[in-house]
Amino acid sequence: MEELLALLKGPLLTFVVVILVLGLIRQVVLSVWVLIEATRRAGDRNIPYARVLRNIAIWVFPVTRLHRSLPVFSYASFFFHLGVISSAVFLREHIDLFGPLGLSWPSIPRPYVDWLALLAFVGLTILLGYRIYVRQSRAVSGFADYVILVLLIVTVGMGYLAGQSWNVIPYDVTMVFHIAAGLAILVLIPFTKLAHCALYPLVRLSSEIGWHFTQEGGHDVVKTLYGPEGRKI
Amino acid sequence: MVDQTRITTTTTEEKKVAAEPKKQPYSYHLDRIPLAEDRAEKFLESFAAVLRHTNYKPVLDIYARSMAHCGRCATACPVYQTTEDPRDIPCHRSQQIVDIYKRYFTLGGWLRAKILGDDPLTNQKVDEIAESLYRCTACRRCSIECPMGLDHGLITHFGRYVLSEAGIDPKGLVVSVREQLEGETRNTSKVPLLALKDTLEFLEEDFESMKGAKIRFPLDEEGAEYVFFTPVSDYLMEAETLMGIAAVLTAGGVSWTIGTHVYDAINYGLFYNDWVLQRVVDQTLEETRRLKGRRILIGECGHASRVSQFFVPSFNRGEEIPVINIMELTYDLLKAGKIGLDPGVVTEKVTYHDPCNIARSGWIIDQPRAILRSFVKDFVEMTPNGRENYCCGGGGGTVSLDEIHKFRMEIGGRTKMEQIRATGAEIVVAPCANCKKQLRELMNYHKLPVQVVGLHDLILRAIRMPKSSSD
Repeated sequence: MEELLALLKGPLLTFVVVILVLGLIRQVVLSVWVLIEATRRAGDRNIPYARVLRNIAIWVFPVTRLHRSLPVFSYASFFFHLGVISSAVFLREHIDLFGPLGLSWPSIPRPYVDWLALLAFVGLTILLGYRIYVRQSRAVSGFADYVILVLLIVTVGMGYLAGQSWNVIPYDVTMVFHIAAGLAILVLIPFTKLAHCALYPLVRLSSEIGWHFTQEGGHDVVKTLYGPEGRKI
Repeated sequence: MVDQTRITTTTTEEKKVAAEPKKQPYSYHLDRIPLAEDRAEKFLESFAAVLRHTNYKPVLDIYARSMAHCGRCATACPVYQTTEDPRDIPCHRSQQIVDIYKRYFTLGGWLRAKILGDDPLTNQKVDEIAESLYRCTACRRCSIECPMGLDHGLITHFGRYVLSEAGIDPKGLVVSVREQLEGETRNTSKVPLLALKDTLEFLEEDFESMKGAKIRFPLDEEGAEYVFFTPVSDYLMEAETLMGIAAVLTAGGVSWTIGTHVYDAINYGLFYNDWVLQRVVDQTLEETRRLKGRRILIGECGHASRVSQFFVPSFNRGEEIPVINIMELTYDLLKAGKIGLDPGVVTEKVTYHDPCNIARSGWIIDQPRAILRSFVKDFVEMTPNGRENYCCGGGGGTVSLDEIHKFRMEIGGRTKMEQIRATGAEIVVAPCANCKKQLRELMNYHKLPVQVVGLHDLILRAIRMPKSSSD
């Protein structure tokens, strides 16, 4: 078990982080590139960046929006994001993994991280419940949506248990599940909807730029499909 | 807040109606090619051409990598709230388009199809997509509830455009557009110029006998500040709206004119085809330049206002021509004290319906309310309203599709009907030709004793004309 843990925390972690970083850089660079290109092609290049930024900021901390639609789901989703990001980023043990790279940043004391992880766990469980039991959520859920949720639940749940003295599962087993599921999540990020962790601001921007049409787009489409004579309506 | 209980009150009859279009595919959106056997192929060819020449590709690309499928958009959609039909969930609708994009236009999708042998796109799937896209009223209410910032209205717009270039477009819209762009009258209702002139003369006389003052509908006056475009159907059906607008412009001393070459503001391109959208905008710009007008003034019409405000800058190749909606201008004139409205005339209980195309972006929400509150004694709001308003149920061009009248009455417009009923209002002000048509049919269908009028219909009743116009 110790060797497995060492493998997970050593070479596999390095491999996953490299994939994650390179994958996200690729995602962001490609997305920014296509948006710059779209703006260049647009007939009206006057993109309301200030409004887009304001809306992004509102939805990063959507305190005034959560209660309006699916309040339980919305609060669960918000607190899951808050809990999982803060506990993953600010746990001392996680920060220490970056020590060999000479990186370090302030940590949150363990008891608080435990509460944040618990918050994330409860949020995730509610989200899974919605996917399974609420008609509209179930209707739009695919296999990947369930897999990602289960992996997150295992990662957060096992991570929380690992720090508890009352945990009846052997520590090493708990950690193997925690790290293995966590690594699976990290490696999936660039290839699944989890990429929204980096693309989030670009989604809203693309929605705005999409309405800024190319000046000759309609005519060019007709020429491509029907030849230079075009078509009648 | 959205009323969740409404979901459970859907009757069996309504669900049956919701399912009806499925039984008759293309009953309301086919004009040229009767059920082409190769429509899946045509759809993909059209998809590729549109991606190549437009700005939709980055949107699909980023959406494909980010859609979280939370389903929150469903709670904002008045159609889904009534039907509970999964194909009416906005992100489900978008997902169908995104899936095709991933499958046929990305390397990952191509590889996946090769390895896993994914089924190719079928005619049946195209039929399902077409039905799904035309059940949407394109009100974009879902976009304000999406935490990610996805605009499902944009994907619906794209999907309908692809369908249209594949020969699948609503005949109710195509026939009108054909007359507007290729016919003699150059307007969607085939109103000849002579009939327009007669109507305007009649309205001038009617106003004089009603108010004892004169108004003018100036035609082809070169160099006017504003060139006025309104839905041509107004000239057939909205006499009060037109007289109210002319009264405001006359009383306010505004320099304006109506062009005799192009006088229709309707642009159905917004609902199904960008090529059409651009050609109608070009026609509007051409007429404004012919008359050496400085600004485009749009009448009471949601989609025409949005098209001009947001797409004139996209398609205009010449000098900048600002666009203004008549309600903005009336508000400015009222604020400047150039028009006066009698607060004792309108005594009925009045409510205001926000047309989605001008309210969803937050563009025109306060101006009409400020005008109404200045002279209407008993004004009551619907809940919710403004940016979060509910669609009349005839948006996205569906109001012009008579084949789906029952769907519009029992599904698309149900939430709006309940909203209006809850206000207890006797008059609904709906400053949009499409909304007015839909709401009148809706009030009639549900037997609600509510009058549906334009904003300037009420202004007509209350406006105090200056003495100079009595000469």
